[in-house]
Amino acid sequence: MVEVRLDGWLRQFGPRGRERVEADSVAAVIDALEARYPRLRFKLRDETGTLRRYVRVFVDGADVSATTGTRTALDGVRTIDILHSIAGG
Amino acid sequence: MKRDSRLRVLLGTRKGTYVVEGNRRRRSWQVGPVAHVGSEVYHVVADPRHPGDLYAAVNSSFWGPMLQRSRNWGKTWKEIATPLTPARKDREPAFDDREAAKRPLLNLWHVEPGLASDPSTLFLGADPHLLFRSPDLGASWEPIDAINRHPARDQWSPGAGGACLHTILIDPRDARRMYIGLSAVGTFRTEDGGRSWTPTNRGVLAPFLPDKHPETGQCVHHVAADAADPDTFYRQDHAGMYVSHDRMESWKRIGRPLGDDFGFCVASPPSAPGRAYFVRLDGMARVTGEGHFQVYEWNDRTRSWRRLVRAGAFPGHFGVHREGIATDRLDPAGIYVGTTTGQLFISPDAGRSWQLVPYTFPGIHSVSVADPTSG
Repeated sequence: MVEVRLDGWLRQFGPRGRERVEADSVAAVIDALEARYPRLRFKLRDETGTLRRYVRVFVDGADVSATTGTRTALDGVRTIDILHSIAGG
Repeated sequence: MKRDSRLRVLLGTRKGTYVVEGNRRRRSWQVGPVAHVGSEVYHVVADPRHPGDLYAAVNSSFWGPMLQRSRNWGKTWKEIATPLTPARKDREPAFDDREAAKRPLLNLWHVEPGLASDPSTLFLGADPHLLFRSPDLGASWEPIDAINRHPARDQWSPGAGGACLHTILIDPRDARRMYIGLSAVGTFRTEDGGRSWTPTNRGVLAPFLPDKHPETGQCVHHVAADAADPDTFYRQDHAGMYVSHDRMESWKRIGRPLGDDFGFCVASPPSAPGRAYFVRLDGMARVTGEGHFQVYEWNDRTRSWRRLVRAGAFPGHFGVHREGIATDRLDPAGIYVGTTTGQLFISPDAGRSWQLVPYTFPGIHSVSVADPTSG
């Protein structure tokens, strides 16, 4: 079981901030969240499965957004943070 | 409840949706509901078939494109279905779909309600060069494959604003006849409800291509239909201002007397057939080159131009985007112009007088009008 901590901005799409999810990859975590909160679909990933530009995923504190991304395996992982990056103007 | 004597100006801006409320006199204005704060909103439009219904093309840099609807003149909004890439008719991710993988939906550009005789139909134009139809007011979307899978689309190029499908016009006499505008591809017409499309760019210059008069490749910025003559259209192209009197079979350039006839927007009001309003911009700077706000009126009957704003009345260099001008349905026509620096200029009398709404909005992408439904 992985604890997923969600950015406050994501609350507009459903999740309250922390979720516990049974999953073996980041993609499976997002699948599970989307199943619980349908309005979250396509907010973190576009329809090709690619993480959106300003979404950052940290696995036990390590940013995997630009490396293994949603394919990241979660063996032994305890926490995932899903944040939006500081951007805009 | 939804019948209302107020006239509303709907603004899509760089930072949200604004509803500006006035009345038939069009002399005083109040900024009403604000929504989608922080998101780019490329287009907001009222559905005249269902008073109170508004649609907003919201493009969040964080969460992607979202189509939103209000059923109470903008007081509250709700996300409705957003179509996906051409291959998809449902909302299931298609991670193994090679077509989809090449082209995720980027931005929503234009929402067009169907005719009054077709009260549940909506059309949506999007980037990259996508056209969708909804048969149920946005509960679901069908791709128009003759455009979305057009055999030549691999040769279609984006304009500076992206591969946007930004103009959708429906012939009021026959909904099977429609016209679309794509950057930087040009205009097309269908006579069969979207099953086939014919390029309609004859006479429009493409100075940025080796072939200056290609079948497609022109960078159309916006097109407006003449309310009294559905076969007449006014076109602001990258390469000038044009008119067509034959369902876009051919175009004649009308902007040459103005010198630099660059611009992005054009509108034609129902109460003034044969008139079209353009905001001429400096082709390099992309702002009003005269050093003040100005709107040009084309009179298609006398084939002449007229400046509508007293020189120097509103000094500055103003940009106006492709959806940045609108007219209402009243007589005399109201003209509404939103600028990229957040000014909203309004004429309540077909251009004889102008006022600047005393409010600075975020940069304005789109302006449209919800006319009074009573009173």
